[in-house]
Amino acid sequence: MNTEAQLTLVQWLSAGFPVGAFSYSHGLERAVHDGDVRCAESFGEWLNDVLTLGTGRNDAILLSQAHNAQDGDRLRALDTLGRALSPSRERLMETDLQGAAFCKTVSAIWGQALDDLVYPVAVGAAARAQGIDRAIAVSHYLHAFAANLTSAAIRLVPLGQTEGHAVLNQTHSLCLQIARDSADLTTDDLGGCCFAADIASMTHETQYSRLFRS
Amino acid sequence: MVITVAPCISLPQSQPRAIGKVRVDAHARDGRSHIAQLMQRGSLKLLFPNRAEKALTAVLLNTAGGVTGGDRFHTTATALAQSELTLTTQAAERGYRAQPDETGKIMTELAAHSGARIEWLPQETILYDGASIDRRLRLRLPGNARGLIVEPVIFGRTAMGETVNHLHFRDRIDIERDGKLILSDRTRITGDAARTLSRRATGAGSAAMATLIYVGDDADLRLERARKDMPPNIGASQPHPGVVCARVLAQDGFALRKSLIPLISSFRDTPDLPRTWMI
Repeated sequence: MNTEAQLTLVQWLSAGFPVGAFSYSHGLERAVHDGDVRCAESFGEWLNDVLTLGTGRNDAILLSQAHNAQDGDRLRALDTLGRALSPSRERLMETDLQGAAFCKTVSAIWGQALDDLVYPVAVGAAARAQGIDRAIAVSHYLHAFAANLTSAAIRLVPLGQTEGHAVLNQTHSLCLQIARDSADLTTDDLGGCCFAADIASMTHETQYSRLFRS
Repeated sequence: MVITVAPCISLPQSQPRAIGKVRVDAHARDGRSHIAQLMQRGSLKLLFPNRAEKALTAVLLNTAGGVTGGDRFHTTATALAQSELTLTTQAAERGYRAQPDETGKIMTELAAHSGARIEWLPQETILYDGASIDRRLRLRLPGNARGLIVEPVIFGRTAMGETVNHLHFRDRIDIERDGKLILSDRTRITGDAARTLSRRATGAGSAAMATLIYVGDDADLRLERARKDMPPNIGASQPHPGVVCARVLAQDGFALRKSLIPLISSFRDTPDLPRTWMI
């Protein structure tokens, strides 16, 4: 993989890329509201589980499968599956709107025809077209997901910048591990057990005062 | 002299222990729903209690007394046009310790035709230490039909001092409306379930969990009703128009029922649950 392609990936998954990542907390805002996440340690535990037993691992599988996809029909099927995996309205919105914004910007700048795919599927398809390695794309995608939740935690809990980034740093090995493991996984391996995080994303919908869209 | 020692032949451990297969179709006649077709094989049976309601209630009975590695259970149920079919179980299902590398497989295929309603309301599945279960449920229906799926699961009965430290549990629920996959709920727990579920993003220390899925054109009204006085251990949302997904966490089976019964009632036309739930 050349340096140019790697920089493209860094650009796509940087906090400044216009997918609006900063507006989604994946239910973390509710978990903080309910007192389930209230310090760096509890945030670290929550983040680790969402990565390994929740959306992190599932998105890694979807991204990898999209990277391997041979045609548009396969991408459409993965997109349908990605939508169907969302247990709540806000979780669907996260993957739907970030994916749509990603497709729009990548199509405009890189001239790739990407049509409103959910976020991990869109990144997988775009990475393949740009010659970006699958495992590197997955680890960067997971890191961007963890970094976004870390900056949400810094604002919500609140955590100090240093405390928050220490937690993020601890997720690096997990991101790499999930990226390696997802090479051999298929859509039959999707699944998880972040039930409390699911409930938090559902109850966030009716939360009276909120900063985040999810 | 050469002595050849034959390798020790181990008996095949992979043969299924229990196999059960049932199929029921309900049809509407004279304003009530009746059995249109019935097939029962092996260790699954269906009972049809006398009833006052219009809907047909089928009670599933596993005569093998539980599920262990190598078991195969297959249930197919269809609510034909305009009919109403409710399926429940006689008792809680039990997932017992499985032999190494053996997994019990449970497959349920549900369908509702035009204007029909199908309900899958089994009692709890109790998972014991060492259980290994792959379960799949598929519901297919058109946009003008309704479906309600509830799956309560207990990870060891805490009151009996049971903890589940070794588990393989995969539970997949796929909902297809007008031929399109609209919801795919995938639960996957492997290894030390008690430890995994003790954490704040997973089970928050709960040993019981339930998932409820409702499909119907009145989903938004029913969700609104369900959200009134909803306790904090329940979440419910409408990811797509006409589909509700809810999750419940509770410390044990008793607390789970207490939360679940009013939730289920919000998605039924009759407030009472099937009689087997009430005994």
